[in-house]
This record gives sequence, C-alpha cells and structure tokens, in this order.
Amino acid sequence: MKVLCVFVSLLAAAFAVNNGVCYKGIEEFCSHDKKEINPEKCNSKYGGINKALPHLQEYVKNHIVLNFEYMLMSTYFGNYQKSREGFEKLFMDLSNSKWEKAIDLIKHITKRGGEMDFTKMRANIPNNNNEVYELYEINSLAKALEIEKDMAEAAYHIHGQASERSKDFHDPEIVSYIENEFIHKDSETIRKLSGHVSDLTKLLDSPDSSLALYVFDDYLNKVSIV
Amino acid sequence: MKVILSLTIIFTAIALTSTNTPCDHGALDIPDKWIDMVDSCYDQMKNQVQEELKASIQYLAMGAHFSKDTVNRPGFAKFFFNSASEERQHALKLISYLLMRGKLTTVSDLIKKNIVPKITIWHDGLRALKDALELEGNVTQKIQNVIKVCETPLRADEKKFNDYHLVDYLTGEFLEEQYKGQQELAGKVSNLEKMKLTHKQLGEFMFDKKLLEE
Ligand SMILES: [Fe+2]
Repeated sequence: MKVLCVFVSLLAAAFAVNNGVCYKGIEEFCSHDKKEINPEKCNSKYGGINKALPHLQEYVKNHIVLNFEYMLMSTYFGNYQKSREGFEKLFMDLSNSKWEKAIDLIKHITKRGGEMDFTKMRANIPNNNNEVYELYEINSLAKALEIEKDMAEAAYHIHGQASERSKDFHDPEIVSYIENEFIHKDSETIRKLSGHVSDLTKLLDSPDSSLALYVFDDYLNKVSIV
Repeated sequence: MKVILSLTIIFTAIALTSTNTPCDHGALDIPDKWIDMVDSCYDQMKNQVQEELKASIQYLAMGAHFSKDTVNRPGFAKFFFNSASEERQHALKLISYLLMRGKLTTVSDLIKKNIVPKITIWHDGLRALKDALELEGNVTQKIQNVIKVCETPLRADEKKFNDYHLVDYLTGEFLEEQYKGQQELAGKVSNLEKMKLTHKQLGEFMFDKKLLEE
C-alpha cells in the first residue's frame, strides 16, 4: 500500500513537470491575473532533448563546415588543370548533401523545442591557410572516407546518449530520427567511398595510371555517392 | 659494356620522369594566354563568393529562429531557408564562372568557414523581412563595386583590362536577380506592414500561412 502511494505521488509529480506549468500559466492568462503569457512555459520540450541539444548543435556546425570543405574540394577538381568532372560531381554531391542535412537538422532541433546555437560556428574551425584542399584524386577519396566515418561516429554518439535508459537522456524520437536520416545513409556512402579507394588504388598501381584516372573519373560521373 | 650503357639510359630516363608518381603526373604545358582576368578583379570576385555565403548563413539563422516552437512561424522559416539555399547557389555560380575563366585554380583561401550570423533573434516576421531587404541592398552595392573594379582595375601595376564579359554577366544576370528579389521583399514588407497597422498579431499569423503556400 505504501509502495503504491509513493508510486502514485511520483507519477503525479512526473505529470506535474510537463503539464502544470503551461496549463497554470494559461489559467492565469484567462483570468487576467497576468496580462502577458510567457510562451516558454508551453514549449515542445520533453524526453532527452536538453541533454542531446549541445551534441546536435555541434553536429549541425560540422555539417555546415563540411558543406564548405567539400565545396572547395569539388572546385579544385573543376579547374582546367585538373579537369576531373567525376570528382567535381562527387564532392559537390557531398557538399549539397551536407547542406541539406544541416537545414533538416535545424528543423528537427526546433521541432523538439531546441534552438540552433550559431556561436558554435566561431569555435574550433581552422580557417584556411593551414588546411589544404588541393588534393590528388586518390587522396581526396581517402580524406572523404575518413570524414564520413567520423561523422557516422558522431551520429552514433548522439544515438548512444539518447538510448540511455535514464530519465534525462532517453529519447526514442531522436534515436529513430538519427537512425533513419543518418545512420543507414552513412553506411551506404562509407561503403561506396571505401570501394572507390580500393578500386583506384589497384588501377593506379600500373604503368597506365594517368589513363586509369581518366577512366575512373568518367566512371564517377555516372554513379552517385549519396 | 653495352648492357651497362643501356641500363644507364634506362635509369636516366626514369630520373627524368621521376616527378611522375602513380598519383601525380607532373606539370602540364597548357597555354595561358586565354586567362585574361586581372588580379584586382579576381580578388573582388573571391570576396563576393564569401559575401554570398555570409548572406546564406544569415538567412539560415532567420530560418532557425522562425522554426522555434514558441515563435512558430513555419511560413517565414520556409521562406528564409529557401533564401539561404539560394544565396549558397549564388556563391556556387560565381565559383563556376571563375573556373570557366581559368583564373581559379587553387582553392584553399577561397572560403572562410567560421561564418557567424550577425543577428539570431528577431522581434517579429516584419522585422526580419526588413533586415533581409537591407541585407540584399548591401549585397547589391557590393556587386556594383565588383563591377566597377572589373571594368577599370584600380591597381597601378595592372593593365587596364575592361572585363566586358564578367561585367555583362554581373549586370545582366546577377543584378537582375538582385533587383527582382529586392522588389519581392519590399512588396512583402509593404503588405505585412499595412496588415499589421490594425491587426498586429492576426496580420502576422495570416501572412505566415500565406508564405507557407508559396
Ligand atoms: Fe545573392
């Protein structure tokens, strides 16, 4: 009996956290006790969004930065000296995908009552000079492979934290979103990039390496990476 | 002796082509007379790429603001997210142009990546539309500066090269889009401001739903 009592009061407390504030605020508003209502009281937050938010914001930032970096790599292959249309397309596809995902992530964060923190754009981004985006064909694919693996692990990290069964962290909605929009697609892209590196390494190990690059570039132009 | 001689010849041949690795096929001999864009004009163009990307991130912040649960203006959010992608496309168009002209070959200093939007919170949709119009006005002015420099390069050490084609492209295609976009924004500001004179909240609510249909 005692246990039941404790359970019921705990349950009531749990409901109060979510429902009390908004409803009470509205009651005050309707009875003109207070002229203004604080909309913050009726936000869409629940579950583990508060704990996931900083990581999601960081994830958005990385998408935006990668959108720029892939843009530069694509541009390099588009110059008349490199003239590699297939590589140019591959990196532009990756850049477009990162940009679209950044927007989608922001929409999702706000759906769950969070907001994007753009001051994160200031930190930890090495600004050109030290970074080189003029890469040989095979090197550029190897770099993309590593970037994509890092991003996949960042998605796992968000997923892992939101999978914790403790109250502040558990968030099946975020878990499912990350799985459907990122985790499965990441695995496809990573597998394709790994395959490309493997193929091109074999092709370059021959006296015909420059012809091999020409053929491989032509092949890249016909397939999609994302 | 003959064997040694032929070996030497082979080794010399290898030494001569040793810049060629499986990944690097050495320097090329491509005529460059066709690459006629002057540096001061090129610098202005590169700067404009960055300006378009800055505008893109500023619009992204607007989209993010109006998506918030307690702001809840999905129409405005959609409009600004679209604008963000359009600005990114403008940057890409300028990059493509520079590639066509052969001037852009090294890329590492082309984009400064840590772009922080100047404003991230707006009082209402009308304020954001006005900010957007002001932003576009600034971008237009910057394009005009690019045009000026590319028409008559400023630097004393440069040949006075009037870049007819680029100037034509910027005035004919780029500015055309700017002016159209600005008129659209100004029209929106005008309509919303009039609606809000007598219907402050309802006006903004209805305008938002209208934007969602566009
Ligand atoms: Fe623009």
